[in-house]
Amino acid sequence: MTSGKPPYLGFGLGLRPQHYQEILSGSPTIDWFEIISENYMVEGGQPLHMLDQICERYPVVMHGVSLSIASTAPLDYDYLRALKKLAARVNPKWISDHLCWTGVHGVNLHDLLPIPYTEEALTHVVDRVGQVQDFLGRRLTLENVSSYVTFGQSEMTEWEFVSEVANRADCWLLFDVNNVYVSAFNHEFSTDDFLHGVPRDRVVQFHVAGHSHEESHIIDTHDHPVCPEVWDFYREAVAHFGPVSTMIERDDNIPPLAELVDELSHARSIAQEVLGANAHPGKRLEAAE
Amino acid sequence: MKSLRELQETFQRGILAGDDAILAEVKDSAKEQRKVLFGVYRNAYVARLAEILADDYAQLHAYLGDRAFAKLVKTYIDSNPSDQRSARWFGRHLPAFASEQALYAKHPEVAEIAALEKALADAFDGPDAAPLRIEALAGLAPEAWPQLVLQPHPTAIRLTFRTNAADIWSALKDEAAPPKPQTLSEPQAVVVWRQDFMARFRPLSAEEAMMWYEAAKGVRFGVLCEMVATFAGEDEAELRAATYLRGWVDTGMLAGFQTH
Repeated sequence: MTSGKPPYLGFGLGLRPQHYQEILSGSPTIDWFEIISENYMVEGGQPLHMLDQICERYPVVMHGVSLSIASTAPLDYDYLRALKKLAARVNPKWISDHLCWTGVHGVNLHDLLPIPYTEEALTHVVDRVGQVQDFLGRRLTLENVSSYVTFGQSEMTEWEFVSEVANRADCWLLFDVNNVYVSAFNHEFSTDDFLHGVPRDRVVQFHVAGHSHEESHIIDTHDHPVCPEVWDFYREAVAHFGPVSTMIERDDNIPPLAELVDELSHARSIAQEVLGANAHPGKRLEAAE
Repeated sequence: MKSLRELQETFQRGILAGDDAILAEVKDSAKEQRKVLFGVYRNAYVARLAEILADDYAQLHAYLGDRAFAKLVKTYIDSNPSDQRSARWFGRHLPAFASEQALYAKHPEVAEIAALEKALADAFDGPDAAPLRIEALAGLAPEAWPQLVLQPHPTAIRLTFRTNAADIWSALKDEAAPPKPQTLSEPQAVVVWRQDFMARFRPLSAEEAMMWYEAAKGVRFGVLCEMVATFAGEDEAELRAATYLRGWVDTGMLAGFQTH
């Protein structure tokens, strides 16, 4: 299994079809791209053609939504084969998905569903991560999701669960700053407890995104600009974790590329304020690998 | 305490079937009741899939209008839980589903517009193949032509419409008022394929459709010419066949040929 910690890539964006031409014809200030893996599990045509060109010019990471690592349904090896095939084409710096489940009995609910934080679920997830890592021949990166309900049977906090998964399964973590903020509001825990509760050396990527506030709860919609509260928490996360590859994640209501580049510049300036000269350690060297 | 498997089954039934048993397993927050909080998942499931269908079937949406389209997709979502790793294929049964709806029994153009949109989406990210170039055919010896077997581009899909769905789709795509739905006097063949990364379609005349269909089955060019002669007369039959072939080559509908 590939062992080294993934390189620090700087400041990236999610690759969206609306921006293909602008990215390839200009030189936007974007250090790397994250792709939604499932969107490129197609036979041919423009999506794969564009992807190949992006991969020639930028470091790329793969981010999936259908691994369903916490599901009690059997692992879908057809899916894993498609993932591995795509990885052979993309040569991603890492492969991520979510710490969640998406369905049982052959159904995909196309949502990132919450896990009860129990020893039973922990053992189950750790076992599955091991199987997936063995199959892929590399470590997985798992992301904390936004959630709206808490289970009566939970025995530990989310950050304890996340940490145990990472340590026992020996995988990396994608720390979604917005998701921590959303879940902390919905379940009334402290974002600081989560921040300090996960192992620093496991975190290889940040997601920063917008959400929808519904007064009594927040929904993780990824269709708004990042709000000031999430930027504040991002600042804390950078101070705590140090330089971590950062990405603005917009999945809906996709604005012109320039708007997202502006948001990315804001993230960059926050990181530079917090870290000073340490904001880009070894970036050029590693990104050029 | 429910096992993880039982909990997930209950959760899924809560989303798909509106079963409230899951509410015994989750808690109220200090600010909101559990039914509202679980409702976020219920609402998101339908809203997400409806949005995907609206993207995949944009002209059908425009044709039916918001209310009728919303009703169709809600019924579809309720009766077709996704079994796909990517939502890209969630809507693949919509054309057949629409054709079975009693509401649209007298509007066969609805299912045909959906079938055209699905075929265009399938052609868009279907298999790659370099198009056959006219230069490759130009080098053929005259005696090789009768043996020529043509290979359609792998994205090519043939549809048969009983209505003017293709005209309706084109008008809607141009944001123009669509023509009134009509049943055609003869079924209309339409071929959908991808050229230069663009999915496109073209109605075929009855004769061209016959030749395309037979060519796709592997019938040799010499026989195709005879079939064209039988179809609409021997006068200039070879010229007609050659003209169709030239059109297919010029628009990337073919990916290769064999001569043995």
